[in-house]
Amino acid sequence: MVSKDITLKVPLHLIQARRLKHFYLLLTGFFMIILILWVGIPILMAVMWSLVDPKNPWSFPDIFPPSFSLAQWKYVFDYTNIGRALRTSYSLAPLAVFLSLVLSLPTSYVLGRKKIPGEKLFMLVVLLPIIMPGMVVALFLSRVFTAFGLSQTFFGLVLAHTLMSMPYMIRVMTTSFQAIPQDVIDAAENLGANTFVKIRDIFLPMIRPGLLAGMIFAFTVSIEEFNLTFVIGTPTFETIPTILYSFMGYNFIRTNASVVALLMMTPNIIMLFIVERFLKSDYLAASLGKM
Amino acid sequence: MKEKEILPLHFLMLIPGVGFILLFIGSSIFTTLVQSFGLFSITGQSEFTLENWKTILQARESMDSLFFSLKMGFLSSVGTVVVAFPIALFFRKGGTGKGILGSIIKVPLFIPALVAAFLILNLISYHGMVNTVLMRLNLIDEQLRMLNDKFGWGVVFIQIWKNLPFVLLIIMASIASIRDDTIDAARNLGAGYWSILFRMYVPLAMPGILVSMILMFIKAFGDFPIVSVAGPIYPSSMAGRMHIMATIYQEWDQAAVLGVIIIVTAFFVIWAYSRLAELVKGEG
Amino acid sequence: MAKLRIVDLTKRFDEVLAVDKLNLEVAEGEFVTLLGPSGCGKTTTLRTIAGFLYPDVGEIFFGDKIMNNVPPNKRNTAMCFQSYALFPHMTVWDNISFGLKMKKIKRQEQKKRVSKVMEMLGIGELAKRKPGELSGGQQQRVALARAIVTEPQILLFDEPLSNLDAKLRVQVRVEIREMQKRLGITTIYVTHDQDEALAISDRIVVMDRGHIEQVADPYTIYRAPETSFVAGFIGLANIFEGTIVARDGNRYTVEAPFGKIVIVSKDTKVSKASKTVKFIWRPEDMNIYTDGAPNRVEGKILQAVFMGNITDIFMDVNGNKMRAQTDESRKLIAGDLIEFSIPETAFSILRR
Repeated sequence: MVSKDITLKVPLHLIQARRLKHFYLLLTGFFMIILILWVGIPILMAVMWSLVDPKNPWSFPDIFPPSFSLAQWKYVFDYTNIGRALRTSYSLAPLAVFLSLVLSLPTSYVLGRKKIPGEKLFMLVVLLPIIMPGMVVALFLSRVFTAFGLSQTFFGLVLAHTLMSMPYMIRVMTTSFQAIPQDVIDAAENLGANTFVKIRDIFLPMIRPGLLAGMIFAFTVSIEEFNLTFVIGTPTFETIPTILYSFMGYNFIRTNASVVALLMMTPNIIMLFIVERFLKSDYLAASLGKM
Repeated sequence: MKEKEILPLHFLMLIPGVGFILLFIGSSIFTTLVQSFGLFSITGQSEFTLENWKTILQARESMDSLFFSLKMGFLSSVGTVVVAFPIALFFRKGGTGKGILGSIIKVPLFIPALVAAFLILNLISYHGMVNTVLMRLNLIDEQLRMLNDKFGWGVVFIQIWKNLPFVLLIIMASIASIRDDTIDAARNLGAGYWSILFRMYVPLAMPGILVSMILMFIKAFGDFPIVSVAGPIYPSSMAGRMHIMATIYQEWDQAAVLGVIIIVTAFFVIWAYSRLAELVKGEG
Repeated sequence: MAKLRIVDLTKRFDEVLAVDKLNLEVAEGEFVTLLGPSGCGKTTTLRTIAGFLYPDVGEIFFGDKIMNNVPPNKRNTAMCFQSYALFPHMTVWDNISFGLKMKKIKRQEQKKRVSKVMEMLGIGELAKRKPGELSGGQQQRVALARAIVTEPQILLFDEPLSNLDAKLRVQVRVEIREMQKRLGITTIYVTHDQDEALAISDRIVVMDRGHIEQVADPYTIYRAPETSFVAGFIGLANIFEGTIVARDGNRYTVEAPFGKIVIVSKDTKVSKASKTVKFIWRPEDMNIYTDGAPNRVEGKILQAVFMGNITDIFMDVNGNKMRAQTDESRKLIAGDLIEFSIPETAFSILRR
């Protein structure tokens, strides 16, 4: 019988299959190392620079700083406006989130659940703050603001941040509203629910993940916002991005910049873990991909 | 799941969202356009004129800036997509470690653009780690100028580093919509690996590829902070030039011209990319 | 020389043994159906033939060529998927010509072949449309066209009709069979629908949990099932076990739980030493008792379901549950006593 002769040796296809599996495993491992370096080294560098002891400056040919100290951190907090910048950033963000939420809710509801003529056009308009080149909008919106006395005001900044957050907020919430099956609403109505009950017991709970996602995006967008804040807010107001920018300009002090960079990054990384944990990243991809 | 009935109330409900955006973006664009033609000028008289346009278009610096920004836009968008696509394919099949890998690769997404610029800048600057290591390993005799270089490689690298996860997510979503059956059918009918890549994966993932390229192009083309920090002294980017023109020289009208050029170019490129995508998709 | 030969095929997925030492030979031009419930290993076997899966043990031969190491795109097989798997971004024409393009067939020749196949299947006017614009039935035909235009050595079907409505299913399965007969391509067809299998196959391979229960033509599968699984999976069956009281050639007197019967076996399957025998007969073979008819069986009707052309009867015979189907015009109701006769040749003796 032919088969007995062939199956006595280890079949070639098995070896090949095993080799393929090993190859993939190797590739994944290799890839992971590259990735950790790709992402890790830049961050590590910033951390090290922020911990350089001013008495022992770090320069070529040292691979590592000769000694570590928290002096730079102290310096940045004592002698720069970082405290002010932090306060401004973290008071702007919640306001921007709140305002964009309030403004976006009715719009998202309509776009998500009603068939509006010209829908595509409206969706495009919603995306304009993302599509339009930032500095152009910033410069000439500041002109408009100046004409209305909104330039260099806190309120002006809130408006600007809200403007930039809204596309994300609307997109994510529209998707959320869209996902509610009509059947569920019909069933609720059938059982006697009025508008208020519908909103409280059906809509709000069902869009909660989307709401949360939208708020996180909006918050992040506001914290990172640069162009508009730079033009409309400086020098009266400083936020973390603008202060970082100033440290990278003419007075480039690597150590200061490192501290500020890390300060700016940390809440975001925490946010990363929150998002990964509690939300599906499909939301992000879906809402962006649907553009 | 859309209800047929539309009331005027619904249009009213659109106003807070759409209206808000339209108001602010609209007034901004309107001002840009209008100021470029000399109207609503803050300094001096307002009258319709093409002087500003002439001045800008005739200046050598303008063309250099435009070319530079276009270069940044194309290299960043194409570069990021080219790097992201194989990674997205790799992630298509689940496997050990993909979860952790997925999280690590998403980190730059949550790092603000300026911070990313700084982090990379730190690394590749004249006295940065890369140079230090290369010198120690005696691979180079003198530090490389990777930052503020004439070509703009530093900027491109920062853009790719910062935006890779963003593009990766979009493309992965696109690829996820490709059914295994479809790929099996192609294999069954004789398609080799290259055929599958270019006839199946690329056309079917085109919506995602297109969106990412467009968004990335606009970001990189119209970028201000990254280029001003990591880019060459000359030429400046379009946005950089526009900013200086307005705030330092107080030539708002000329700045407006630059602004209009930026907007028009951005939209032109969107249109061109879409046409290209249609072509590739149709080819199959 | 068999067109397809599967030798000792074994495939495991983690803990599950999907296919267990499967052996099968298929002749050139034959239409063989792999039939069985989900998880029986039929799709795994099919995908192994196609090359999407590597056998853990065993070989696949096309003719005398061993195919194990040949990748799926070099095997010259063509598969029709349950979901049709049409390329959504290509027109119908491009879909159908894809396989030819991969084989680097010249444009002119491509055009000729594609047009011919499209006409054969009646989908000529759909050439410029995209799959998304087609109905289920049309998509099915395009998938079929795409497969046969490449003139494959072996045609593979993975439950191609599951997504069609009942009426269309019956119509299309006949078309598939006629097409196959005309072209004479060796075909392996996977389905869980027994009617489909009976209607169009040259031979049926009944599978359960990774191994073959029986391989035979439809008539034999139905009339002479060899195992209780086959008997129960295809058609309705009354299955019992009894003691052999007397035998005379192929005439067995059997003491069954419900009474004494005489079985005339169609083949000498029962060994001389056997004391017991397992047997089945089909409900529709039972006739209303008339004087002198063999194997009289009397039972109380538990449920009589009138279905128009037949009445389906569930009855109790001496404590044993039995099912009968008759076209008796008399109205039958639960509680009535009824008498049936079972022809002596209606029985099949089961191996297990």
